Amino acid sequence: MVASLQTDLNRTLRFHAGLIVLTNLRLLHLEEAVFHEWKLGDIHELVLEEMGPTVALHLQTGDSTAWHWRLTSRFLRDIEAFIVRFHELRGSNGNDDEAGDDEEEDLFAAEPASVPKLASKPLLRLLGFSRPWIGLMLCGLGLTVASTGAGLIGPWLTMSLVDDVLIPLQSATHEIDTARVYRFAGGLLGAAVLTWILKWATTYVVARLAERVTSQMRRATFEHLQKLSLGYFNKKRTGDLISRIGSDTDNISLFISINFIDFACDVLTIVFTAVVMFSINPVLALAALGPLPVVAWLVQWVRVRLRGGFAAASRAWSAMNSVLTDTIPGVRVVKAFAQEQREIERFRQQDQHIFDTNDRVNRTWSFFEPTIYFLTDIGLLVVWSVGAWCVAQEHTTVGVLTGFVLYVGKFYGRLDSMSRFVASAQRAASSAHRVFEILDVKPDMPVNKDTRQIGRLTGEIEFRDIKFRHGIRQIIRGFSLKIAPGEMIGLVGPSGAGKTTLINLVCRFFDVSEGAILVDGNDLREIDVMDYRRNLGLVLQEPYLFFGTIAENIAYGRPGATRAEIIAAARAARAHDFILKLADGYDSMVGERGQQLSGGERQRISIARALLVDPAILILDEATSSVDTETEREIQAALDHLVKGRTTIAIAHRLGTLRKANRLVVLENGVISETGTHDALMKHGGTYARLHAAMEEVNHA
Amino acid sequence: MKILTTGSSLALIDAEGVRHENVRPVRLFPLTDPQHWIALVGENGRELACVEDLNTLEDEPRQILAGALAQREFVPVINRIVNITRATDGHDWHVETDRGSTVFRLETDESIQSLGGSRLVIFDKAGTRYLIADVAALDRDSRRKLERYY
Ligand SMILES: Nc1ncnc2c1ncn2[C@@H]1O[C@H](COP(=O)(O)OP(=O)(O)OP(=O)(O)O)[C@@H](O)[C@H]1O
Ligand SMILES: [Mg+2]
Repeated sequence: MVASLQTDLNRTLRFHAGLIVLTNLRLLHLEEAVFHEWKLGDIHELVLEEMGPTVALHLQTGDSTAWHWRLTSRFLRDIEAFIVRFHELRGSNGNDDEAGDDEEEDLFAAEPASVPKLASKPLLRLLGFSRPWIGLMLCGLGLTVASTGAGLIGPWLTMSLVDDVLIPLQSATHEIDTARVYRFAGGLLGAAVLTWILKWATTYVVARLAERVTSQMRRATFEHLQKLSLGYFNKKRTGDLISRIGSDTDNISLFISINFIDFACDVLTIVFTAVVMFSINPVLALAALGPLPVVAWLVQWVRVRLRGGFAAASRAWSAMNSVLTDTIPGVRVVKAFAQEQREIERFRQQDQHIFDTNDRVNRTWSFFEPTIYFLTDIGLLVVWSVGAWCVAQEHTTVGVLTGFVLYVGKFYGRLDSMSRFVASAQRAASSAHRVFEILDVKPDMPVNKDTRQIGRLTGEIEFRDIKFRHGIRQIIRGFSLKIAPGEMIGLVGPSGAGKTTLINLVCRFFDVSEGAILVDGNDLREIDVMDYRRNLGLVLQEPYLFFGTIAENIAYGRPGATRAEIIAAARAARAHDFILKLADGYDSMVGERGQQLSGGERQRISIARALLVDPAILILDEATSSVDTETEREIQAALDHLVKGRTTIAIAHRLGTLRKANRLVVLENGVISETGTHDALMKHGGTYARLHAAMEEVNHA
Repeated sequence: MKILTTGSSLALIDAEGVRHENVRPVRLFPLTDPQHWIALVGENGRELACVEDLNTLEDEPRQILAGALAQREFVPVINRIVNITRATDGHDWHVETDRGSTVFRLETDESIQSLGGSRLVIFDKAGTRYLIADVAALDRDSRRKLERYY
């Protein structure tokens, strides 16, 4: 088998599973009872046709056996790969003479079955995160055992105290043994002090472990986010990501530091006490442990209920964060359209949702805890009555019974705190799940293993019939262009034509669907992307400044730049003059997203930022759209001098900005409709001339 | 280039021999590098000249410039935080600075910013800057107080 393709629709567009298999000799189609086959030699072509949310794959044979399949567009990539394989195969077979006597490959042997890795339980995966601190973990565990053990000394001593000292004293058959009383009192005090110190150490060690693990998780998650492509962030809501990295990891931290240790303690105590109780008096012990199965069943019942509840709570929390990250940055629009009340309502709804989900969870476990408590009381009652009977029958002593009751108290106290553990473990599990969900996203831009380092480029760019789609929408439909080093290309075209998309492809924020972009003769997909981007200077349509000073923002692409270089870049971008007027000059804070600056000022800072990296390829996407015409002319003059020696792609709606361009490329509907100089295009009288005329009209109106 | 004092203001004769009145010196990096990069700005707000390092100037113009800068300069350096009290909108900081004791009001914790290392700048409600040159050099009591806000 060379390749296979699953189909999910039949020709009447009803869901129907099928399989197309390509071998070195034949193309087979299997669909339940139906089976078709074509000899490779008979097939003229496989053609893909996009039809909105579905796709048709046409098989052309030149006679009446032609066929077509329909698939949903989620298989688009697979179909493309399949067609590529088909072409490769035909290309290689063409060299052979008659392929007829070749052995056909085994149909199903070739493909190694890829076993999907089952996601392990989130809490177990947490253990993986603690691996680097295994020492700390063992230390915490050891301390837990020690402190739990120390906590059990008290009741033991009490037992002897009652039987050997107090009761004999009461029955007045003995003199009081003062030394012995002191020893017991001393022993009890010692046990208390030991427990205190050990617990202190345990709590600290475990809290530290929890902080370490969650900080590691946060870092790993953020690091992973940085690796994901723009496509991922386009789909994600900021608030959701924030709450996953923020509050979800916090849930986990709380769980590890408080509940996990308690849980370990609880289990140990329960086991220890059970052992001790059985060794003292098996009958009493059995009586005491009677309610245990009920508890176990209860835990399971609650666990299932809580799991869904906490997941819903986390999601509700995310939704609320999303409302915040949506409305707070957009506060100007909210106010301008007087929609405060509506945003308040939107927030109220999300908040109500949080309330409701939490309320549901609380209802479950508020029932659970008192129930455990109730069972404790029952257990004690049973022990007292069985104990009283035993004492009456002289099977046991009062001292043993006293000690026993203390143990039973401890035992059920632990069960009680274990019940809290159930809740927080479920919360942590659903939080961990949400964090791992981010970590499990595969970077969707295939990272080529053996990418080349390219160093400094000369700036030659070639687009070879590239196509690109966002989801199922084709945005670039076959774009070919060769840009010489140092050439300035002006990219114009109506809004939505795909200009910014093209730039995104040059920056390799997305990969082309078909064709290739080559820089200095290297396919973009084969060179190291970081290394490549160091050659780029990018000014985006919506300039983005980071919270920090102006100097920091200008030096963003080259943190090591000297002040002289920063000033020079700012001067070239005509930003220097307005920076002078700010109270703190280059040390002024720009506010979040640069909100304290005007739109034109932000643009000039981002031009300075692009110039400072001294890029081989300069990309200006509407870089001067928000500055006044005079400033634009000045920036233009500075750029004219700076674009020398670098390849420049400039997008502008104000066509005058592109005066200096060596060539203008008009993009319409994802294809080039015209290229040439300003004069040539004006003479040609096409789209460019029309855009130009419209602009003149506006200017002179 | 020549810098002159004319009464209370400065004048500059630039390389082409043109004389500019009412020139004011502006620090480009007033917080991170106050001793370098001083721009001389004309009446129209445009930069006329820029001095990278004051020490490269002759004595006379340097003193004139330093004097003019000192006139416009007001960044008290906090030596001790005496008390921080709650006010209706923010907190009142009672401090001792190199320019004497004062009280200023801070609106939010975000008004305190790090300048890298242990240097802090504090912007009060009115926009005046106060500098803490080195947090570690403050006395223990002041550091405790500061810790609650930064
Ligand atoms: N992330 C996305 N997902 C889906 N479609 C997108 C996405 N980004 C852009 N598009 C679509 O791609 C088309 C081209 O967008 P692009 O931003 O390239 O236009 P443009 O030529 O830069 O327009 P303008 O001049 O208005 O900036 C638009 O129709 C837009 O709706
Ligand atoms: Mg655009």
